[in-house]
Amino acid sequence: MRRGSIVQLIVIGVLAGAVASAVALIPDWLPHSASREAGRIDFVFWFVTGICIFVFSIVAAVSVMAVWKFRAKPDDDSDCPPIHGHTGLEIAWTAVPALLVTAIAIVSAIVLAKDDAAGANPLRVDVFAQQFFWSYSYPGYGNKRSDVLRLPVNRSVVLRMTAKDVIHSFWVPEFRQKQDLVPGIHPTLHITPNKVGTYRLICTELCGLGHALMRSRVIVMQPDAFETWARKKGP
Amino acid sequence: MTSIAEQHEVHAVQHGPPPPPRGWRRLLYPGLLRAAWMAPLFFGIGSGIVVLCRWWGSWHPIWFGEVIILVGALIAAPIGFLAGIGAFDYWVRYSIGAPTRPEDHSGHGAYSWRDYFRVNTDHKVIGIQYLTTTIFFFLAGGLLAMLVRAELAKPGMQFFDNQTYNGLFSVHASLMIFLFVIPAFAGIANFVVPLMLGAPDMAFPRLNALSYWLLPIAGIMMLSSFLVPGGAFASGWTGYAPLSVHQPLGTIFFNMGVQWAGASSIMTALNFLVTIITMRAPGMTFWRMPLLVWANFTTSLLVVIATPFIAGSQFFVMFDRIMHTHFFDTAAGGYPLGYQHIFWFYSHPAVYIMMLPGFGIASEVISAMSRKPIFGYRLMALSLMAILVLGFSVWAHHMFVSGMAPWLRVPMMITTLMIAVPTGIKVFSWLATIWEGKINFSTPMLWAVGFISMFVIGGLSGIYLGAVPIDIHVSDTYFVVAHIHYVLFGGSLFTIFAGIYYWFPKMTGRMYDERLGKLHFWLTFVGFNLTFFPMHLIGTQGMPRRVSDYAPTFAHWNLFISVASFALGASTIVFLYNMVTSMRRGPVAEANPWRSLTLEWQVSSPPPIFNFDEIPQVVGNPYEYGVPGARHAVLNGDRAATEVQPR
Repeated sequence: MRRGSIVQLIVIGVLAGAVASAVALIPDWLPHSASREAGRIDFVFWFVTGICIFVFSIVAAVSVMAVWKFRAKPDDDSDCPPIHGHTGLEIAWTAVPALLVTAIAIVSAIVLAKDDAAGANPLRVDVFAQQFFWSYSYPGYGNKRSDVLRLPVNRSVVLRMTAKDVIHSFWVPEFRQKQDLVPGIHPTLHITPNKVGTYRLICTELCGLGHALMRSRVIVMQPDAFETWARKKGP
Repeated sequence: MTSIAEQHEVHAVQHGPPPPPRGWRRLLYPGLLRAAWMAPLFFGIGSGIVVLCRWWGSWHPIWFGEVIILVGALIAAPIGFLAGIGAFDYWVRYSIGAPTRPEDHSGHGAYSWRDYFRVNTDHKVIGIQYLTTTIFFFLAGGLLAMLVRAELAKPGMQFFDNQTYNGLFSVHASLMIFLFVIPAFAGIANFVVPLMLGAPDMAFPRLNALSYWLLPIAGIMMLSSFLVPGGAFASGWTGYAPLSVHQPLGTIFFNMGVQWAGASSIMTALNFLVTIITMRAPGMTFWRMPLLVWANFTTSLLVVIATPFIAGSQFFVMFDRIMHTHFFDTAAGGYPLGYQHIFWFYSHPAVYIMMLPGFGIASEVISAMSRKPIFGYRLMALSLMAILVLGFSVWAHHMFVSGMAPWLRVPMMITTLMIAVPTGIKVFSWLATIWEGKINFSTPMLWAVGFISMFVIGGLSGIYLGAVPIDIHVSDTYFVVAHIHYVLFGGSLFTIFAGIYYWFPKMTGRMYDERLGKLHFWLTFVGFNLTFFPMHLIGTQGMPRRVSDYAPTFAHWNLFISVASFALGASTIVFLYNMVTSMRRGPVAEANPWRSLTLEWQVSSPPPIFNFDEIPQVVGNPYEYGVPGARHAVLNGDRAATEVQPR
């Protein structure tokens, strides 16, 4: 390969990387982060995005160059010099992706382990789903029931999931955490909200006619406001 | 010594198809006419058995509609149809001791359009039957997608109620997967693989015909579920239990449709395996097989191992519904996650069933159009095998948030991410094949290069989904919708188009219109990206999939996507127009317009009725472009055609 084409290849690669980075950075890809878990998950998201932009730039550079430079001339019927392979290159493009995905797997496994661990003194909430609404109950507060999920800020929460009829799925985009609710088993989900506010709670598993409307709200409150609400009789 | 062609000719003359009888006897002649009365007859027999059994067991009501539809319409009537059209004639004659025609090649070849509407044992005719049937269901599935996008153009409900909407996307996905992508690849392979191997036909031509005729049954079954009370099956193509157990009647049309389509795939896969293992021309070692043959070999292994699992999962749902078993009924000790494990044990390998044949097509097109050997041929074949093996160890990555045993997630994440390695090898090897080539950007090559670029994007979004923490956020959102369409549309469909354009001259003997082909590519390429790329964004921002209504924040993007998708849908008209007009009036094609080395291009276009006048002798590798004096195979077709040989 001539030096000129190496320079061209690098220039195209940098351009492709710049375009991909712009696509990654200009729109708001992720909703606001409102839990400790969300921060960690976002880190994995951007870590993978970085690796993807790197891989994309290489592939884009090579394919754009190939499409641009290596067209057959209209009257050229001849074949190319036969290149059957290159052991070094083949080892490289086996080993480098293997290393990259290993890095992604390690980072993901660490984040997953952290997100799975409940903090000290967690608040337990029972989440009930049935076609097509959500309800919540607080075992630590005399099984107080609510139609809105109210949580104190900066306290670890353990949600214990119960589905009464079919499979539903609990998702709050701002918390990044999601868990299916399956009849007969009671999976748990850990969330540590860290921003006061009201968030959408969405059912993300097709559960029948009213699936699109099976929504609820999460209200993250100051701890003392939450205590006052939780100890009050009635909803 | 007589040539194969002459032997066949003799038999065809001696045992040629009996002329269709006249008068009422025509009703007994195998064909659509006989099928038209045998299907209702079998429906009657099936329903009669149900009524008799219920009467004998004093079950009430004796006339129970759901079971009658299942046994009569979805099981017995299709068998009657197959018997009527003549799919079983040979086997029935054989088993009752009636005279059979062991060397009967009357089912070979097509001399008029009517020959495509009967049981034909010619792999080339069956290949065309497969492709036209699957393109029909592709159009049907595409129209359903247009309806889905019409509903989603604005938030709130526009045209449909929720049940209909859920039916639309469920049938869209089922048709595209079971009646288009999987059988379209089987159709291309049916036409091409025996030719590439130097074989006169598939190993089991009658089984081949039967596997084709199961397809229209499955497709019509899935489409007709819109007509039954309660509407089409509406629990997604994944049909998760226990929801699917309690859905209206349409669900059993999905349960049974999958059985017929699955039986078709299994039979075809067995046929391919036996053909590839036993019918390679002399000298065609495994390491001299074209990569399309390798791809169909691995795909067929996946099909025979995995497909019984989806058959099982759908039977369990049906048993729970009709026989009151409790596979997924928690109140009686059932386990809903069992459904997902069995379902994905098929449906993840199914992703590779829908992709590996495309890898094969891309390899053929890219090597011939770049005038260079495939870079790293053996590693390309081995990476197919690696995907096959790893493909069976990743199913639970569809279940990271399902509530399954938590420890399973990290091992499944590791195997999932590892699949990126053999897939990456393939992508890099294609790029290295193109590199410094003399590329002819004809329509098939545009689709093949378009496939690489779109598949890379689909592969990279797959890395996000493989990493558990990100998957927890994006699972069941539009990010997943974007990913599967980059893989199955940008991947599978682009390679199907590449294959159709590439082999169009071989299949029809005529050339397609190159300008329209390129127009089709660019319209689809642009429309595809405008439609599906923004779905990544609305997915990560919080729009769940499978909803008929959504938050107003996503209104702008959804309108944009809907408009783009209509343009994408319209691009198919260019394709259809090109195919139909070129088939009828296109310029006559040469035998080898791409100057390709593989065997199917060494015979006339379309190929002679028994493919090769003499069995070819394979003497080298299939991609030796630029190697001085290299040949893939030696054929003596010309001599056999011109010389009269002694008997």
